[in-house]
Amino acid sequence: MYVGIVLVGGLNILLGEPLTMVRFLRFSVLLVGLCTAVAGHANTAQPITTADDLGPKVEQPIEFPHDRHAGDMQINCMYCHTYARRSIVSGIPPLQKCIGCHQSIESVRETPRIKKLFEYWEGSKDGTIAPKTPIPWKKVHDLPDFVRFNHERHIQRFYFQQEKPVQEVCGYCHGDVKTMTVARRSKSLSMGWCVSCHEKDHAVDAVSTKTTQGPNDCWQCHK
Amino acid sequence: MSVTNLLENWSQFRHKHPVGDQPHEEYKWAMSIDLDACTGCNACSVACYAENNLPVVGKEKYSHGFAHHWIRVERYWDADGRDFPDQGAQFLPMMCQQCEAAPCETVCPVGATNHTADGLNSQVYNRCIGSRYCEANCPYKVRYFNWYDYPTTDNVWPEPMNQQLNPDVTVRGKGVMEKCTFCVQRLTAAKSNARTEGRTVRDGEVQTACQQACPTNAISFGNLVDPEAMVGKQWMQQQVQLDKDKQAKDAEEAASKLRGYRILEELRAYPSVMYLERVRESAI
Repeated sequence: MYVGIVLVGGLNILLGEPLTMVRFLRFSVLLVGLCTAVAGHANTAQPITTADDLGPKVEQPIEFPHDRHAGDMQINCMYCHTYARRSIVSGIPPLQKCIGCHQSIESVRETPRIKKLFEYWEGSKDGTIAPKTPIPWKKVHDLPDFVRFNHERHIQRFYFQQEKPVQEVCGYCHGDVKTMTVARRSKSLSMGWCVSCHEKDHAVDAVSTKTTQGPNDCWQCHK
Repeated sequence: MSVTNLLENWSQFRHKHPVGDQPHEEYKWAMSIDLDACTGCNACSVACYAENNLPVVGKEKYSHGFAHHWIRVERYWDADGRDFPDQGAQFLPMMCQQCEAAPCETVCPVGATNHTADGLNSQVYNRCIGSRYCEANCPYKVRYFNWYDYPTTDNVWPEPMNQQLNPDVTVRGKGVMEKCTFCVQRLTAAKSNARTEGRTVRDGEVQTACQQACPTNAISFGNLVDPEAMVGKQWMQQQVQLDKDKQAKDAEEAASKLRGYRILEELRAYPSVMYLERVRESAI
C-alpha cells in the first residue's frame, strides 16, 4: 500500500505538470504518507524532524554534562527537572540540588566543572561570585510567549499512563539528551511539528488498545 | 493540516453546531447573568482589564470608540420623564456571547477565529491579519481592534506597571482583533488539572474574572453538559435551550414567570449567555 502511495506521488511528478500549488500539495501528501507508513511499522509516535531543526549552540555558565547524568548514571530526568510531572514548566534545579549530591562525591571534586560549581556555592576567591549565587543557566528550549505548553499533561500521559521510558518521553521534544553534554535543541518545536504528533493515535494507557488523539483546537496551545 | 484538508473538510469544522446531531461531549461553557442582581458597578469590567491585559486607552481614544472593554456595562435610561441624576436606568453587562453559530467565524478570511470543542469562539492573534470582517459581522459589537501598539508606542504599561501583566495571556500588538475569551487561560488550567486527576472540571472549580469580581453574584458560569452545574440548572429552570431560536418565554403571554432570554436570538447565532430579565423597578 505504501508503495502504491509512492507510485501515485511519483506519477504526478513524472507527468510533468507545471509547478503549481496542486503538485506541491500532492508532494506533501506523499511525504505524509511515507511518514505515517514508517510510524505505523515502528509503532512509536515519533514526530517528523529534519536535520535543519538543530537549534543554536548555547553557551552555559558551566558545561553541564547531560551524558554523564542521564546517560552513564541513568538518573531519571525528573530527579532534577522535578516539576515536569506536576506543573506547566519542568523547572531548572536549584543550586542546592547539585550540591546535595556533589558534596559527597569526592572522586570528581577537583575537576574543573565541579570546582566552578562550588564557586557558586561557596563564593569565588576573587569575590566576583557571592556565596549561594544561583547559576545563570540559559534557556535552550524556548517557546514563543503566545504558546501554552504543559509539561504535566505530556508526562502524565506518556510516562505515568503509557509507562514509557522517561528518556523516550522527554526525548519526543528534547531529543536524545543522554548523548549531549550541554543540551541543544534538536526538534523544530514549530506548530506543524507539534500537530504532526497530536494528530496521531496514542494509546490511553500501557495495556489498553483504546487510542485518542491530542487536542487540535487553537486555544489549547495558543493564548 | 494541509490546505487540501481544510478545503475538503470545511463543513467538518462546524460540526459542533447546536442544531446538528453532534452534541458537546465533555464541556460546553456557558453563562447566565441576572440583570435583577446587576447594579452596574463595573467591577466585572475592571476585573477583566486586570485579568486579560486590556489596555486603558484614555479619554480621547475612548471617545473615538477605541476602548478595549471586553465586558462593558451597557446603560439603558428609563423613559420616566425625569432628568439625570434622578432618571432611572437599567444595566446590562455585554461581552462576547460565544455563539454556537458565530457570524464572526464564517467571515474570517484566514481562519483566525474558530469554534473549539468546548463551544468557545476562539481568536488566535498570530493568525489574525486585521481585516476586521469579524467585527463588522458581530451582532453584539463585542470585538475590539488594536488600532495602536499599546504596549510599545502608546506605552500603556510603563515601568514598573508591566509587571502586573498576566503571563498567561498574550499582550496584543497593533493590527489584531481581540475579544472576551471566557477566561480561557483559567479554563485550560482547570481542565488540565482535572484530566490529570482523571475527572472532569467540577462546578465552581473555575470562575471567570468577571464572575469572581461581581459583588452581587449576578454572573454564574459553568459547564452546561454537567447536570450538577448551577448554570445548567438555571438554563433548565428558565426553559432556555441552546439549540433553539425561540424559547418557551417567547411563546407565552406577556406576563410570563420565565425570565431567561438570550439577546438577538432571532439571528440564530445561538449565544452561550443567558440573561435573566429584570423584575424590580429601576433604581432611584
